[in-house]
This record gives sequence, structure tokens and C-alpha cells, in this order.
Amino acid sequence: MKPTISSSRGIMKWGIAITVLGLVAMAGVYLLALGYTPLEARQGAAQKIFYVHVPAAWSAMVAFTLVGLVSILYLWLRDERLDAFAASSAEVGLVFSVIMLTTGPIWGKPIWGTWWTWDARLTLTLILFLLFVGYMTLRSAVHDPAERARFAAVLGIMGMVLVPFIHLSVYLFRTLHPMPIVLKPSSPSLPPEMLRTLLLGFLATTVLYVGFVVLRYGLARYAMARLDEES
Amino acid sequence: MPENAGYMIAAYIVAAVVYLIYGGSLITRGLRALRRDGEG
Repeated sequence: MKPTISSSRGIMKWGIAITVLGLVAMAGVYLLALGYTPLEARQGAAQKIFYVHVPAAWSAMVAFTLVGLVSILYLWLRDERLDAFAASSAEVGLVFSVIMLTTGPIWGKPIWGTWWTWDARLTLTLILFLLFVGYMTLRSAVHDPAERARFAAVLGIMGMVLVPFIHLSVYLFRTLHPMPIVLKPSSPSLPPEMLRTLLLGFLATTVLYVGFVVLRYGLARYAMARLDEES
Repeated sequence: MPENAGYMIAAYIVAAVVYLIYGGSLITRGLRALRRDGEG
């Protein structure tokens, strides 16, 4: 189905509304983290980095998993809307990855005594980030839309395969990275104030992910519709 | 100021700047596209 300007406008309006909602929710997370959560005894204020780092990591992993799943669908159905969604999700995933990969080392410096260490979780996450930088570079280098979508889909699926390894890396390898405290078989091991703030963080970055992707997807469809109209 | 507060502030600023720059640029592009074709 060809995108139209009017349908793209509707998608963009939704995207703007959800993005604004996500930014407001994120401001709420900041307020709760600074004013409501207790100060952790051993790490001090550095522990509060966790409320921005972990939700950003969650949304990055959701974004890259969806790129892979939608790419599988694209290779099957060859629908250009799926390719546009995958490209949007990859770009947004990179934004969350930048936050994950900068706030992590800022926490690591006072707690581990180093900005970076080549442990399994950190290294695999960096590889995933670079793989999706490659994905975006590939998209801008190939001009034929069908070829670009096909090549990008294959790379997107390979990126998705890394995601479960990153989650399980703390169990599979000796690593400095803390173990999961929420996404694990047993119940979350956190005081209620910390858990509530973290859950709001997950909600805020999920809403932001949806807002960013819907808006980015709407913009892509709008560009396609304008191109169709002009040709 | 609590221990390690500087690291926390740095991380919070980095995250806020990234969210605001990316979200702001998407919203601006969206609003510009909406305005270009008018409301009708």
C-alpha cells in the first residue's frame, strides 16, 4: 500500500503527542530519582545513575529486537512499510544505546575505578551498537530501495541474534557487570521506592521509544508520499 | 553534597541532552512537515 500525505500526517501527530508524553514521564523519573529514592549506602549518589541507564538499555534492546523481527517479516512480505519501521527502530535504538554506553561508564568510574573494561556484557553491547551504526551506514550507502531494504534486513536479523546473548552474558561469563535485578526468574530484589522509580523509568523509556519510532516512521512515510506525488 | 553526586549529575545531564536533542529534532521536523501541507 502506497503511503499518502494525509495518513503520514496522522501518524506524525500521534508521534508528536506520544513523544511529548514520554519526555514528561522521563522528567517525572528524574524528580522521583532525585527526591524520592533513598541514597544507597555503598555507592552513594552514583547508584541513582541506574534509573536512567537500565531503562535506556531496556529500550535499546527492545528496539534492536523489533528491527530483527520486522526484518524477518520484510524478507517474507516485501512490504516497504516494514522496512521503514525497521529503519526507524534502528535509529531510535542507537539513541538509547548512546545513553546506555555513556551513563554506564560514568557509573563505572567511581564504582569500578575505571571508565571501561572489556568484560563480556560491555563488549557485546559495544559490538551491537557498532553493528547498528553499520546498519545505518549501509542504508545510506545503497540507493536502490529494494536492495537497501534486503541488505539491511539481513544485518538487522544478525543484530537481533546478539540481544539474548547480551542479557545472558552475566550468567554465561565471568563479568564485572551487576546481575539483573528485575528481569530475572525470581522476584525483583529492590526496596519499594527504588523499584517503583525503576518501573516508571521502564515505562517512560518505552513510551519514548514508541513516540520516537512512530514520529520517525511518520516522517519516513511523509517523505515517500511527497516523492510519489512529485514523480 | 552526597558522595559521587558529580557522576550522577553528569549522567543525568547526558541522558537529558540526548533525549531532548533527538526528541526535539524529530518534533521540529514533524511540525514543519505538518505546517508545510497546512491543516486542511
